[in-house]
Amino acid sequence: MASYVYCFTRAEHPLALDGLRGVGAEETVLRQVRHNGLAAVVSDAPEGLRPKRRDLVAHETVLETLGAAGAVVPLRFGTVAPDDDAVTAELARGARRYADLLTRLAGHVERNVKGVHQEDALLADLLTGNPQLRAANEALRVAGGGSDSERVAFGEQVYLAVEQRRIRDTAYVVAALRPFAELDRHAPAVEGCFMNVSFLIPTDAQDDFDGAVAQLLTAMEGYGELRVSGALPPYSFVDFAEARV
Amino acid sequence: MTIMAQPPATGGGGGSAAGALYDVIELILDRGLVIDVFVRVSIVGIELLTIDARVVVASIDTYLRFAEMCGRLDLTGGRQPVGLPAIVGQITEDSAERKVRGAIAGAGRAIADTIQDIVTPAGRGSN
Repeated sequence: MASYVYCFTRAEHPLALDGLRGVGAEETVLRQVRHNGLAAVVSDAPEGLRPKRRDLVAHETVLETLGAAGAVVPLRFGTVAPDDDAVTAELARGARRYADLLTRLAGHVERNVKGVHQEDALLADLLTGNPQLRAANEALRVAGGGSDSERVAFGEQVYLAVEQRRIRDTAYVVAALRPFAELDRHAPAVEGCFMNVSFLIPTDAQDDFDGAVAQLLTAMEGYGELRVSGALPPYSFVDFAEARV
Repeated sequence: MTIMAQPPATGGGGGSAAGALYDVIELILDRGLVIDVFVRVSIVGIELLTIDARVVVASIDTYLRFAEMCGRLDLTGGRQPVGLPAIVGQITEDSAERKVRGAIAGAGRAIADTIQDIVTPAGRGSN
């Protein structure tokens, strides 16, 4: 039977698996595979697994719940080993690396910050601060909208200004939050966001981090907002060890 | 857009997991440790999540949309300066002005569309 793998932990992790359910339509039971001071949390791999809401939530809930009780190395959704023996073999093969990673991640959580602009406010701010763009906008308005090519040319200028502002605002937000984080990792923005950055923060710095977020939110009022997720398992920092070498 | 997740049917603990699934989907699907010797279940759509953001170029539609939105703006009122710079003074212009043409918006849209396709909200969902 193939084994769906959720995460690796140290063997000392309490691994309270009762009450957690795994991916799949059935009441999938979680179990642990232990080897040489490490443990893997696995379940039987359901047939025909797809990233359904139910399964994504199950995967995330397992990692989040276990992560709150001790360090975990989260595996990417959908990782399936041929059987439990193969999991054991992987724990043996990567023992040093996983132990090192768990040591470095212990006492840390991930916060993911997505930034969103209020588009009207952003554009108004750009036009107000840029006489050239503002004049071009006025000229098109006076001309009843202008020709297609004029609108495209103007829109491209606006787009470039927006991109620059996205980069600037990302830099501001990251600079304000970085003092509370050990690492940050940028990812492609998702729909509607100007930034999508994950931070690895010490557990005891969470309040300070959240305080800084609150300050940023106040500063951004009427202009944009930040959506913060977490405490999350450290999805974005599993190559921490390599990154530091 | 916001998709509210249903709470898990059974099991306890995961408050935020259920509350804000949409904002963490790409972390669950596209981050986390990959182990070469294990299979990743082949799931249509997932590979699209790893598309290289840098090759995506903004489209004419984007330009037209911005032009149209600007045309509708009312700029007559007095405007407050944006508050972000005030709170973080010491950013170098240099890091803010790096040219990143095209990348973010388009790639993000493709990812979001993919996510929407593969994770159909169970019922609730709003804009």
